[in-house]
Amino acid sequence: MRGLAALLWAALAWGQDFSQRGFLEMRLTGYPQAAPSDRARAVAAALLRYEASYRITPGWRASAGLDARSDTHHEVERRWALGWQDRQRQRPAFTVRRASLLYSRAPVTLELGKQFIRWGKADILNPTDRFAPRDFLAVVDNDFLAVSAARLALGAQTDTLELVFAPRFTPSRIPLVNQRWAPLPEGLEVREAAPRYPGGPQLGARWNHVGAGLEYSLCFYEGYNHLPLFETRLSGLAPRPRLEAQRFYPKLRMYGADAAAPLGWVTLKGEAAWFRAPAGQADEYLLYVVQLERQAGEWFLVGGYAGQKVTRAGWGPGFAPDRGLARALLGRAGYTIDANRSLALETAVRQNGDGLWLKFEYSQALGQHWRVTAAWTLIRGAASDFLGQYRRNSHAALTLRYSF
Amino acid sequence: MSKAAALCLLAGLGLGGQEARQIVEEAQRRSRAASERYEGTLEVRDARGRVAAKRWIYQRLGSHGDSKAVIRFTAPPEVKGVALLILNHPERASDQWMWTPAIQRERRIALQDRSTRFFGTDFSFEDLEERDVNQYDYRLLGEESLEGAACWKIHSQPKRSRASQYTHSILWIRKENYTFARIENYVGSHLARRAAYREVSNVEGIWTPRLIEMTDLRRGSRTVLRLEKLQYNLPMKEADFTLQALRREF
Repeated sequence: MRGLAALLWAALAWGQDFSQRGFLEMRLTGYPQAAPSDRARAVAAALLRYEASYRITPGWRASAGLDARSDTHHEVERRWALGWQDRQRQRPAFTVRRASLLYSRAPVTLELGKQFIRWGKADILNPTDRFAPRDFLAVVDNDFLAVSAARLALGAQTDTLELVFAPRFTPSRIPLVNQRWAPLPEGLEVREAAPRYPGGPQLGARWNHVGAGLEYSLCFYEGYNHLPLFETRLSGLAPRPRLEAQRFYPKLRMYGADAAAPLGWVTLKGEAAWFRAPAGQADEYLLYVVQLERQAGEWFLVGGYAGQKVTRAGWGPGFAPDRGLARALLGRAGYTIDANRSLALETAVRQNGDGLWLKFEYSQALGQHWRVTAAWTLIRGAASDFLGQYRRNSHAALTLRYSF
Repeated sequence: MSKAAALCLLAGLGLGGQEARQIVEEAQRRSRAASERYEGTLEVRDARGRVAAKRWIYQRLGSHGDSKAVIRFTAPPEVKGVALLILNHPERASDQWMWTPAIQRERRIALQDRSTRFFGTDFSFEDLEERDVNQYDYRLLGEESLEGAACWKIHSQPKRSRASQYTHSILWIRKENYTFARIENYVGSHLARRAAYREVSNVEGIWTPRLIEMTDLRRGSRTVLRLEKLQYNLPMKEADFTLQALRREF
């Protein structure tokens, strides 16, 4: 870290080949309904994000990003410590969002450090995106977390082979048990035991082909699911039952593929992954997405279906928002009103009608630096459904962002 | 009409086509450079007169129909880093990908989506492609003075192999230096976009319009692009015009 800080400082001093960006964002979220485990109706949060990059030589580049945040709802830690591993239960108040060193010399690109690795071509759900854990504290408004890894890409344009080695596991951050995004039965006390993090590395390989009329890729992943299963034990009797839960991250092997093909009027995209559970703890299943995409005039439209087929059932409860969007119709529509204003609509509707998520957003730039966004999210459904369980969490949000 | 008169007319049309093509070829030859780089400032003015400012850096390697280009936004801050990779091909429409750093994803811009405006400007994705002379058929319409400059007026129609949102275009090329003065792009009989090329100056031996005003006549909005710090024939590497390069730049 010290070396990286010195590099960035030197970059500032020299003022060449140095670029930076960031924003300060303030967000106010209001929930019309109280939840059994969380009576708060309003949450305010602030985030300062700063990212900088410096080209050391024509081949080497160093990049880093820092987040500083605070909130009124204790989703953010109240500690003056700089986080790196993203394993905290809450969001760290100060964290290294990314920090990596990149070497490129055709046809080789090598990136070492904390970085974002995105796989897949679909939009709302990416089954093959295995090196992309997320912050799911507010399940439907999630953000990606970087992973500590070495990534080697060979090739340039038509055919690229990407190899990833992540020596240390980064889990997704799941909802806090005393908050509304963990809708537990009323009166149930939950105690979380320290999680069992896997010690082994994660490996991945992806070959991507870009053709004139078709793009496709094949990928393989061997490692652990960044979404947990729970080992649970019920203790205590009614009226004060107590559940002791321990998170663990099952072994996972994935074989995946994705493709995109323009078909004259629309672009057809598909993405599928077959998940194996070598240790036999988790479900084995196929998760797939098929979507059509069209950009016309000021409209951007995406519509599709996400499905899953369980080939072998595992055991234990878990937190799986990716599978929570399966067996559902997915849609996204964007409309650009003018150079400064836009509208967006996103939705997921479970095919059995048990769950609905609908997000409407209006966004307006105010001058060169400011943007205000008003969003309204509707969640409905049955308590037994992944989306429906959050039916009390429909909310409105107002976000003011200053970008620099 | 007598047979002789008809033959004369056909011959005239043929010569007109040949001459028109030669003019465009010459314009293309004179603007040829191994590479190009400029910093673009854009002023987008909508129908109600509201103005939005943007900046980008444009880099191109190669020329006319066999070139690669990257456009990377530097302002406003919220779109900083958004980039477009364009791979132009001599025999067909270009391939384009847009990189959005906020989601760390690139998205291929499909052919049918090229009529869409590029990031709130009045340039469509197709307007950012390089036009190669071989992808169009030409017909000389005559001569006309435009903003005080004597110009050739040429009808241009995309060949079948080249997918385009425009059915045809009318080009005005300055006689003095073979630079474009104006391009009017039509969809059917309707004028869709007009590009005006002004402030021509000689940069490293290449006469170049330093101001391009693109008007979207359907929306009533226009974008003024100024080319600053324009340089030709800089050393550039093929490897900087790939999807990998698009992702790795900050």
